Amino acid sequence: MALAGTPNVGKSTVFNLLTGLSQHVGNWPGKTVEQKTGVLRHNDLTIQLVDLPGTYSLTANSLEEQIARDYLAKEKPDLAVVVLNAASLERNLYFVAEMSELCPRLLIALNMMDVAQQEGIKIDSNALQSALNIPVIPLIARKNQGVKELADAIAHECKEPSTTRATIHIEAGKDIEADIAHVEESLTYEDTAPYPRHWAAMKLLEGDSQIGKLLNDRLPPDRRAELDSFLSERESAAITMAGLRFDWVRSVLSSAQEYPSTGRISLTERLDRAATHPILGLVLLLGVMGLVFLAVYGIGVPLQHFLQVSLIERVQNLISFNPVWLQSLLANGILGGVGTVLTFIPIIFLFFMAWGLMEDIGYTARVAFVTDRYMHLIGLHGKSSLPLILGFGCNVPAVMGTRIIESKRARILTVLLAPFMPCTARMAVVAAVAAAVFGGWAIVISLGAIAFSLVVLAISGLIIGRFIMKGKRDALMIELPLYHSPCIKTIGLSSWQRTEVFIKRAGTVIVAISLVIWLLSYFPGGGVEHSYLADIGRWLEPVGRLMGLNWQLLTALLTSFMAKENTIATLGVLLGQQHAGLTQALHGMLTPAAAIAFIVAQVLFIPCAATAIMIRREIGWRWMAFSIGFQLALSFSLAILVFQIAKLVGIGV
Amino acid sequence: MKSERTEEYLEAMYKRQETENPVSTSSLAADLAVSLPAVTDMMRRLEVNGLIDYTHNKGASLTKEGERIALSVVRRHRLWERFLVDILGMRWDEVHDEACRLEHAMSPETAEKLASLLGKAADTCPHGYPIPDKEGHITHEKISPLSMFKPGQKVCVSAVAIESPKLLRNIEKWGLKPKTVVSIENKDSDGTMQLKLDNRVIAIKKEAADSLLVKPFLIDKDTASAVAIPMSELKTGESAVVKSYKGDRSALGRLLCMGFTPGSLVKMVKNFSGDPVLIKIRSTEVALDHTMAGRMMVVRKKDEC
Repeated sequence: MALAGTPNVGKSTVFNLLTGLSQHVGNWPGKTVEQKTGVLRHNDLTIQLVDLPGTYSLTANSLEEQIARDYLAKEKPDLAVVVLNAASLERNLYFVAEMSELCPRLLIALNMMDVAQQEGIKIDSNALQSALNIPVIPLIARKNQGVKELADAIAHECKEPSTTRATIHIEAGKDIEADIAHVEESLTYEDTAPYPRHWAAMKLLEGDSQIGKLLNDRLPPDRRAELDSFLSERESAAITMAGLRFDWVRSVLSSAQEYPSTGRISLTERLDRAATHPILGLVLLLGVMGLVFLAVYGIGVPLQHFLQVSLIERVQNLISFNPVWLQSLLANGILGGVGTVLTFIPIIFLFFMAWGLMEDIGYTARVAFVTDRYMHLIGLHGKSSLPLILGFGCNVPAVMGTRIIESKRARILTVLLAPFMPCTARMAVVAAVAAAVFGGWAIVISLGAIAFSLVVLAISGLIIGRFIMKGKRDALMIELPLYHSPCIKTIGLSSWQRTEVFIKRAGTVIVAISLVIWLLSYFPGGGVEHSYLADIGRWLEPVGRLMGLNWQLLTALLTSFMAKENTIATLGVLLGQQHAGLTQALHGMLTPAAAIAFIVAQVLFIPCAATAIMIRREIGWRWMAFSIGFQLALSFSLAILVFQIAKLVGIGV
Repeated sequence: MKSERTEEYLEAMYKRQETENPVSTSSLAADLAVSLPAVTDMMRRLEVNGLIDYTHNKGASLTKEGERIALSVVRRHRLWERFLVDILGMRWDEVHDEACRLEHAMSPETAEKLASLLGKAADTCPHGYPIPDKEGHITHEKISPLSMFKPGQKVCVSAVAIESPKLLRNIEKWGLKPKTVVSIENKDSDGTMQLKLDNRVIAIKKEAADSLLVKPFLIDKDTASAVAIPMSELKTGESAVVKSYKGDRSALGRLLCMGFTPGSLVKMVKNFSGDPVLIKIRSTEVALDHTMAGRMMVVRKKDEC
């Protein structure tokens, strides 16, 4: 059976409660949309559950809608449970109307009864049930109320299918009825397969492009042209049909729902006075993000440290045998890679937790709202801002988080821009170099590096959006859900599932890359100084000289592909110095101009391996290759530019 | 400050005077649910204090001073009702009795604080009766029971009689709260009326039609001449009705499933230049890009009276 619903109805919480931990998370075949499947065990029954993407309708406006309806049409689930938000029933019932057109057997889980009550909306679920002729189970999933009843009802429906089918009859006006019939008769059942013919006719009248494309291949040109000319005369059909569905919703609701008295000031309105205010909203966002970063690093860094010191380093110390190269392979090559993966885990998990919390409360939509106008500057809209902001912490959750953006174009652009966000690992390197060379001015230089990154991000956004990608920036449309308290269990579970995806996808690759880098840095000389990696660094030195960098610095830059913070460790080895010694060495080696050039190169250098793998997962290897190439070119050319200008003007050389 | 009982009497007399002047002691006894001798006794005392003119057999009417006090009580009563509904979220059928108790306990200063909290928009009580201002001025409109109107007429609900909580609940369910415009479709011989509002038709019994106080709605005085404007031009707080779409239709499907169908009511929640607009549609708030909002043509709603 399938679980469907619009966004912001608590569908994942219901899914979790029904399936427990028997979940499988993956992608829909060939699509980068998360697919969750699970099993509901009820007494002797085992029911397969598929969680459909949250959508507002079943007309192909987005990838999610296409997936949801293709599943319903092709897999024909025995039963579809539609989760509704009791606090916004009107729009949610519109979705029920659409569902009933494609899936005859429905069951309604009326969620968020508490939120509706808090808003003063009264709902008579029995009246709703009889008006719809579909079983309606009221529940508060967040508090685990009504879930048992829902499971019982699902099992009951599966065992003995009730004879009553959803008798949702949209009273279509005569004209529309005739139009639908006309389109229907002009098509055969084979033409529209796997979609029902009547349904396909309706969608064609609603201007559904995907069905249109399907018919392009199946209909001979003359019939196709005939159909097109008929449809083009019926341009307003989509509006009429939506209107009819809403009329039906109204008639259902008139018996089942009482609206709150008007003029009442709800909690949401009060909070939104600040959260959507053009200035206060930004101040609030700054405060919230400050708290998030404090919390993530307050908990995450000790955890990272614990994993690194007490696990990895302890095991590394245990490994001591001959030959030395094998010991180094195990300790540095493999365990080093494992360590890198491990250190990512707490940070990624905690960022997803923080994000899930904001999402569940309803705050993320407000973030999109207040940041929208600034995102326009780089050719994106508000939904891209949160992934990018998270990029300050770590680029990996930023890239993975772009899934909230429906438009493909905006998503790709956001993924490509995410690695421009100066993550904390990068800033640690910048801070170290700045402190060594500029002393007291280090803070100014570091802040400058952040500002510089953001400017480059904005300009890159404009360039990529204008010249490399087709299409226009699409318009923002986002629902601002009512605020409500979050369900920690659901957030924890989904954060862990996402972290697991990272571990599975990136884990082995990172260890493999670590191994390769180890090979390059160990052979043939048995140390970094006399390795292939250093050879590459030396080979690059002519380019490096243009930006005032020697081969050691270039090699250090190259190792940052593994993880950005590796730059410092590599420099330590190559210069044979640690800590204070390294500071001294850097101070002696880098002129201010070269130091700035190095910082520029470092903040813009190619995304780290973990980020690159996630870019590949989200938007494919072509774009990943583009991202690496683009950033490499940008990083080197801007560093050269900075150094050459400094040399010309004669400052800091 | 006058005693609570004095205030109760003056308030009851004020309300009675709207239909009966001078007010007879027996009506007053019925309104206040007290015995006739008790009313007579109180009448004498009020007369001594110069608050009413009282003639034994004819009845009583308020003096200027009496009316001033009565209006101040009415003001406090209706402010409290508004507060209970707007801020505390109580139902409109349960606030009357509560306000009766609260009204006497409040000083005029507190009343003004309450009034400023509720804001200028709160000029009537939840049931639609005007709130007197602090000088005791009250705006009177000519309103009559709905049952007096004929099919084909368009009226605007001004106020509702508050006697029966059950009826109030029904009125709320039907969506007939004050400031709603309805047109009368049909009227049966037993007084049952069919009303049309927001594209739906409801039937109400005579008793209900008697307790809905309405005024004629001058058809199309505002709406017909109104021009369709892009939705993005609505100012914060304005309501409008969706009429049509123009320009690029690529986002039409998304707009329709969010509920932006012709005839639907929208309210501009926030419209700062630069930010997306925030619109309330079908009890949900949606943030929309300026350009996208501009493709929807709406007519400003002046359907409220």
